[in-house]
Amino acid sequence: MSGMAGVGTVGAMPGGQTGEGAAARIPGNKGIWVGIACEFVEFLVMFVIYFVARAHYPEAFRHGAGHLSGAAGTAITLLMVGSGFLIACSVAAMRAGRRRASLRWLLAGFVLSLGYPLVKLLEVQWNLAHGIDGEAGIFFTVYYYLTFNHLVHACWGILGMGWVLARHLCGGYTPEDHSGLEALACYWHATDIVWLIIFPLFYILV
Amino acid sequence: MHASSIYRTPALTWLALTGLTLLSVELGAWLPAADWLPLLVALIVWCKGMLVARGFLEGHRAHPFVRHLLAGFIAFAPAALVFTAFFGERLAR
Repeated sequence: MSGMAGVGTVGAMPGGQTGEGAAARIPGNKGIWVGIACEFVEFLVMFVIYFVARAHYPEAFRHGAGHLSGAAGTAITLLMVGSGFLIACSVAAMRAGRRRASLRWLLAGFVLSLGYPLVKLLEVQWNLAHGIDGEAGIFFTVYYYLTFNHLVHACWGILGMGWVLARHLCGGYTPEDHSGLEALACYWHATDIVWLIIFPLFYILV
Repeated sequence: MHASSIYRTPALTWLALTGLTLLSVELGAWLPAADWLPLLVALIVWCKGMLVARGFLEGHRAHPFVRHLLAGFIAFAPAALVFTAFFGERLAR
């Protein structure tokens, strides 16, 4: 992983500046990291609930994952990772002074991210058709709480992406000053990390 | 800077994340009852989290608060997963 750290995406200084100044830098802005810290604390609490429930009801958690749609979980994971990649490319392009390319990457990331709520809607319909609602058992109750909470955070990210896209279209970002674009990228990547943890807990472990 | 070089890190990170996702799906399908599956899943989750933190967020170059926040959050679930897998019964008492 360390071999991939050479080229900047979110955290490096504009113009490729490195060293002590870059090491102490806050990617995006301070406000977004307050929000991300709150998001992490919220999900940590929910993960504690998940693991306490898993310890108390191991059988329910062992059999629960087999009833969920693995295809939906995998599709959401690929959509999150794919849109994260496109947004990282948008930041990298902006930093390199390629404004139009940055706009195109961001637009592609926005379009791909819209697939998440769409797949989630189809997944919920599939669940309900198979009798999996919030009262189907402890595993499914925790599953709905955690995944719906993540969906809400992702929707905030998608709305933010729409706002940043509008500002980008109006020429609101430059290679020297694009902290808003970086902040959006930070939030989306943080939300991506949360999903990468949720995914195996519900869809892989049986 | 050449276009391919500015997109190299995000592209490699994305490829690794996609590969690990597909690997974990295969593991879940082929080794559903293996006792050591939680260990492997925990390792994959940690690797994926760190890949996003380093490859997309560049957390290793950021302020120590950001660095520690990311490292702590990414480590929590894999550690809890291993703990629950091996000491879950004791925890539930």
